[in-house]
Amino acid sequence: MIGYIVQRLFAILVILVVMSMLIFGVTQILPGNVAYVIAGQFATPDVVHAIELKLGLNDPIYVQYWRWASGILRGDLGQSLVMERPVGPIIADALGASAILASCSFVFVATIGITLGVIAAVRQNKAVDHGISIFTYVGISVPEFFWGIVLVIVFARYLDWLPPGGRGDASDSLLTRISYLVLPTATLTFTLIAHVSRMTRSSMIETLRTQYVRNARAKGLPERVVIWRHALRNALLPTITVLAVDIGWLIGGIVVVETVFSYPGLGRLMIYALERHDLPLIQGSILIITAIYCSANLLADLLYAFVNPKIRYGNAVR
Amino acid sequence: MSQSALLSVSNLTVAYETRKGRLKALDGVSFSVSTGETLALVGESGSGKSTIALATMGLLGPEAAISGSISFEGRDLAGLSAEDRRKVRGRDISVVFQDPFTSLNPSLPIGLQVAEPLIQHLGLSRNEAMKRAIAALTEVGLPHPERLLTAYPHQLSGGMQQRVLIATALVCDPTLVVLDEPTTALDVTVEARILDLLDEIRRSRQIGMLFITHNLGVVNRIADRVCVIYAGRIVEIGAKNDVLNAPSHPYTKGLLASLPRLSARDHQQRLAPIGGRFPDLTALPQGCAFAPRCPFAEAKCNEPQPLHPLGDGHAARCWKAEALRQTPWPVPEAPKTIAARAPAMQGELAVRDLSKIYALGGSGGAIRWTRRFGLPWLKIERPILRAVDGVSFAIPAGEVLGLVGESGSGKSTLARLAIRLIEPNGGDVVFNDKSVNKLRGKALKSFRQAVQIIFQNPDSSLNPRRTVGEAIARAVTLHTSVPGKDRHNHVENLMDRVGLPRSYYDRYPHQLSGGEKQRIGIARALATDPVLVVCDEPVSALDVSVQATVLNLLSDLRDQLSLSYLFISHDLSVVAHIADRIAVMYAGKIVEVGSTTAVLEPPYHPYTEALLAAIPLPDPALANRHRTVLKSDVANARADTGCPFHPRCSRKLGTICETVTPPVVEAAPGHNIVCHIPLKDLERVPSVLPPERVTS
Repeated sequence: MIGYIVQRLFAILVILVVMSMLIFGVTQILPGNVAYVIAGQFATPDVVHAIELKLGLNDPIYVQYWRWASGILRGDLGQSLVMERPVGPIIADALGASAILASCSFVFVATIGITLGVIAAVRQNKAVDHGISIFTYVGISVPEFFWGIVLVIVFARYLDWLPPGGRGDASDSLLTRISYLVLPTATLTFTLIAHVSRMTRSSMIETLRTQYVRNARAKGLPERVVIWRHALRNALLPTITVLAVDIGWLIGGIVVVETVFSYPGLGRLMIYALERHDLPLIQGSILIITAIYCSANLLADLLYAFVNPKIRYGNAVR
Repeated sequence: MSQSALLSVSNLTVAYETRKGRLKALDGVSFSVSTGETLALVGESGSGKSTIALATMGLLGPEAAISGSISFEGRDLAGLSAEDRRKVRGRDISVVFQDPFTSLNPSLPIGLQVAEPLIQHLGLSRNEAMKRAIAALTEVGLPHPERLLTAYPHQLSGGMQQRVLIATALVCDPTLVVLDEPTTALDVTVEARILDLLDEIRRSRQIGMLFITHNLGVVNRIADRVCVIYAGRIVEIGAKNDVLNAPSHPYTKGLLASLPRLSARDHQQRLAPIGGRFPDLTALPQGCAFAPRCPFAEAKCNEPQPLHPLGDGHAARCWKAEALRQTPWPVPEAPKTIAARAPAMQGELAVRDLSKIYALGGSGGAIRWTRRFGLPWLKIERPILRAVDGVSFAIPAGEVLGLVGESGSGKSTLARLAIRLIEPNGGDVVFNDKSVNKLRGKALKSFRQAVQIIFQNPDSSLNPRRTVGEAIARAVTLHTSVPGKDRHNHVENLMDRVGLPRSYYDRYPHQLSGGEKQRIGIARALATDPVLVVCDEPVSALDVSVQATVLNLLSDLRDQLSLSYLFISHDLSVVAHIADRIAVMYAGKIVEVGSTTAVLEPPYHPYTEALLAAIPLPDPALANRHRTVLKSDVANARADTGCPFHPRCSRKLGTICETVTPPVVEAAPGHNIVCHIPLKDLERVPSVLPPERVTS
């Protein structure tokens, strides 16, 4: 098991190195020039040239890459060109905000998705099953920004129950700060829940047909124990894989949702950086997202091993 | 019968609505089981025997329409609410299902799975329940039960898993246990141990057992009374000795007659199969459902048949039962319509010192530093399995070599190696003095024509989207030079040869029965005019009556076409029936080889002896014949050094068996035994075959 984890960590390292090259390469060929952005609309060529020299933009690309990459190894992601602050703390702040939003959404996607999936499987082909199907499909078929806007119009504009966007600040009460999270979380959950509930439903239906579930019923266990103890534990294995993949979708969704709700997270920061051509900020945020995605998948695989005793205990008992 | 009826089923009918109409899985079934009694329900697939088990347990789905009564200890179970029915399950009536490999929950520890009914039904605390679970695991003969509590099912062998399931079924002290084919998925030596255990439990606990099986030998070993089921109806019921000694319904006669007899003298006699097809359960006749397949049928059989009493609780659903008592089931003549063929070419296949090694998957294996290209390199040493380990044999032209072994012995790997479907790690296959492993292009293609294979499972080896004709024509197109316009004709000739009606040309596999599908497999193998056919468990997926027809067909084809077979099976009685010579395989090695008569009689290799002794035979006089019970529930438990069989051997000499590779001893010309035990000692072992009896 430890060998396996070491192997996986090494693989993640390789991915991060390759990704850092890709990120750097792609941001280099983006149209536009940082020096012009910094110097502003009315700058003379001399000023632009001076800025280019100061930032080392005329150095060969591998020198620039090495400057950036070795900086990361020292924990320095560079200086934001637009905000003129170190990238690290900017990303850390945004990441914190996004993490709250993402983890709330993820918890809801997992719990509601699995529960809906189990209910749909147990009531297979009944009205409840069809209802859940329609509900989750409606969610997945329409993009996040649409639901975001609909929710804002209904709950913020007409009903005025919840704030339309933003995050609140430290002086607000806990309840107020939670209220800022409700609409973005609901939007993300609604668009992602179909994956989890459909996968749970189909693997649950398969599991409910197995011999060991029949055997559990033959032992006279109540249906509730049969479903939640005997069937769900085995049906969850494919769901875990889907949840890990969903983290990727969640990151994509968060960029849109944060923009719609003006939520100051990593997604909105990236849009901001792209608009202003702030290369170090773009590079830093993408690299962080890559790292998060890799670790989430590693975590899912470890969880998979934990839930599946065939991986956890390999040896035969004689 | 003085004992009170524990379970009494009367007029039980179970029907399903299908697209084709109302399907009657059970039709007016009545029987009873008393305390301390074992009633065996016997039938082939589709007979409805498992439906009886599920109906008794109340586990049939809501789509089943059930009528009739199931009375248990005086209560009518059918009248109970779902909740009350649940409280009976696992506490008063428990069940052991067929397949131990899939009946235990893979992600729950064994201890919890055994203790669950105690916590649920008797309200015991977890600790108390675990204590009782240890006692139950001990009772079923599992070593180290404390360690098993935290183990998971995949860490146990099939035999051990079945013991765990039996322990779970017994843990709440039920008065009735339903056993649905509890040993069918197990190897014969493990089956013998489980049957011993069940017999012992029945005697010590005085519980009633409803034992469902298709195997009349197992019935003989375990049952007091027998109930034979055909197409959802009971056709014969009575005391075991009466039914097996004097079968009265033609179906029972046919079932017994179609079994290959395990005897050195009788081998290669024609079997007496039951002809025809299993009836369509959506369109059962008013009269006897077996009549269309019955050689004794008359017009009166089309009237409804009541159970006809024959005395002592013995009854048969046949108006001719009394008259037919002395009439045996007829043995069919070999078809003479198809002319014998002169062999197109001769062929001798030999394998020399053949080996195949598989790396075992999983996360196991030691991590070690090695060097590669002069640089340090981290290497994970995965455990390996020697699936086939230095096997040599030869099949001369026209001979049938039977290869017998239990699951995991490497016999299917050997079959694939012999026809070069997979490449060996060592050794050589030689066909007509040419090394097969060096063949390329045209030479390889002509080898593929000369050596063909028939697979075990006709369901999965046929493409469901191709008609019978297309499936056979494909082999003709690929491997022969038959011109396109003659192909249809050629395929029809092949269908004639394997006894498939020509009208089946345009049918799809799902419209055919198992035996018919296997005939397609045989026709496909014959399409290339082969000289040798590898038969890899060709009959083990089939019911006994169908098995007999396919075995007869294979022997007829062999006579007509001068074929050689490498005939592989786990069932020694099937192999002994068809083979000229037998090779016994254990853990990748051949431990004994010789002519069929020589292998069936002493001197035996201790493993051959155990295999022969473990086979349950359907003769009541032999119900408790001497059985050499092997150690361990692991078929093909293997040892790395010495004799591979020593961990299970009941005749182990001592350390020599553990450390020194045993020598090949020639017991007689052509009869080799690989064993340390001196030949003269092996010769003193008495025969484990039944004494020859004069058959009426």
